[in-house]
Amino acid sequence: MKEKINIALAQISCKRGDKEANLKKIEAKVVKAREQGAELVVFPELSLTGYVLRDQLYEVAENIPGPSVNTLEKLAKQNKVYIIVGMPELSEKTKATIYNTAVLIGPKGYIGKYRKMYLPTHSVFEEKRYFRPGYQAAAFDTEIGKLGIIICYDVFFPEVSRLTRLKGAQLIVCISASPGARRAFFETLTAARAIENTVFLAYVNLVGIEDGLQFWGGSRLIGPNGKVLVKAKYDEEDLVIGEVDYSTIKPIEAFVPTLKDLRPELFDKLKEHAEKL
Amino acid sequence: METRVKRFIKKYVEKAGAKGIVVGLSGGIDSCTTAALSALAIGGDKVLGLTLPEQETYNMRDMEHVKLISEKFGFKIETIDITPALEEIYNSIPIFDPADKLCKGNIKARLRIIYIYYYANKLNMLVCGSSDKSETMIGYFTKWGDIAADISPIMDLFKTQVRKLADYIGIPKEIVTKPASPMLWPGQLAEEELGIKYETLDLILYGLEHFMKTEEIAEQLGLKKELVDRIKNRWLYTEHKRQGLLTLKVGYRTVGKDFRLFRDPC
Repeated sequence: MKEKINIALAQISCKRGDKEANLKKIEAKVVKAREQGAELVVFPELSLTGYVLRDQLYEVAENIPGPSVNTLEKLAKQNKVYIIVGMPELSEKTKATIYNTAVLIGPKGYIGKYRKMYLPTHSVFEEKRYFRPGYQAAAFDTEIGKLGIIICYDVFFPEVSRLTRLKGAQLIVCISASPGARRAFFETLTAARAIENTVFLAYVNLVGIEDGLQFWGGSRLIGPNGKVLVKAKYDEEDLVIGEVDYSTIKPIEAFVPTLKDLRPELFDKLKEHAEKL
Repeated sequence: METRVKRFIKKYVEKAGAKGIVVGLSGGIDSCTTAALSALAIGGDKVLGLTLPEQETYNMRDMEHVKLISEKFGFKIETIDITPALEEIYNSIPIFDPADKLCKGNIKARLRIIYIYYYANKLNMLVCGSSDKSETMIGYFTKWGDIAADISPIMDLFKTQVRKLADYIGIPKEIVTKPASPMLWPGQLAEEELGIKYETLDLILYGLEHFMKTEEIAEQLGLKKELVDRIKNRWLYTEHKRQGLLTLKVGYRTVGKDFRLFRDPC
């Protein structure tokens, strides 16, 4: 496994419902990021299709693997690169059960997927109306490190990042489609999740306006001490590359030993009280 | 269906504390059926059919149909020739282009709704719209024009369903079978302009409503996929005409987005 990798945060806007156009844009960004030395290129939540799809979700959702993942596999193989893309996933066993999923593809093809666990259904969000939640945290062993994936609102629930970290992830990728009014929450929480788990966290947000929602961008790579290592522009498309140096985790983990100090018995208490809320 | 629509109309007149209903009455099947159902629901003495003809699209037969339906279902009608007001509007627009029949026609639909709402405000009545599901789904109406209403009791019925309902409640056959027209310019006929019969259009829309793919709809109906795609695109691209105001979300809760309040007062 590599000790140092370059990660590209591909902050894009999407053409809603047009997978072909979005795949073309994804391809162009992958090629550009590769030229700049990126080994992993991350795209936002639902970036294959756009975020505000409402009833059109039933039409654009695909099996994983499926046609779009096949296209992404070719792209990853040709460019010898790892790619993470958000997409609506149609369950293989049903006709209209959809997940909000992130797919991880490497130079040798499809590696795995993560299904968003916390689906916001409040304010302007209506994800539970359309999506079934996932039940598994994800941490994948790859040549570029042990990668964990979470999606957007998951970052508000520390247990998701904690579980991902405990499964061994050293880099947690959080893909997102966050509209402007929530920027301050994400800027705080992404740093908090990195610090409390002594882990790298790459946050990649959508930009563009969909149905009145303006996604704020501001993608960033955060080090295990909470420091923002690289940051993309607000509100506009951008592609930034940052370095993940896994060797920096050790001194920080010793300095802020949250994992050493974990108290498993509190999780039982947490469960007990959460059930009674 | 008749009972459900009548109950809806009656309940909402009561909830609003209104004295009755104003319906814009063109003489076409949708407005005649809506006016008749309103009269059956709350009594003809509480229903006013407002007929708003203008010179270019004036049709004697439509006027006869309006009279026929008002007599049969016992509601009042009032007729106002909107030609002079239209002329004033045309003359007052510096960039007015008489050859652009759509822009000009939209003025007619919007002017009619001004009259209808004046009567409703002045007489403390509700405006009852008569848009049907077929035309609403494909956006075949004037934004902020004929679609405007306080209640729209037949908006979830396709045109072919409205025809059946009309026939069932006793709307005269010549009105039920008359070709539909939005009356925006002379000789305008809906099916001709849309290039499709309502019988076919409604089946396509029914398929789209039920999440069917255009390939499946085309195959089942023996139609070309291009035609079904064209209808689907009309449906998708006209959503802006059906929803409330589009704004940028900047606040905690936003009008038209995530203020989720009920719209009837009680």
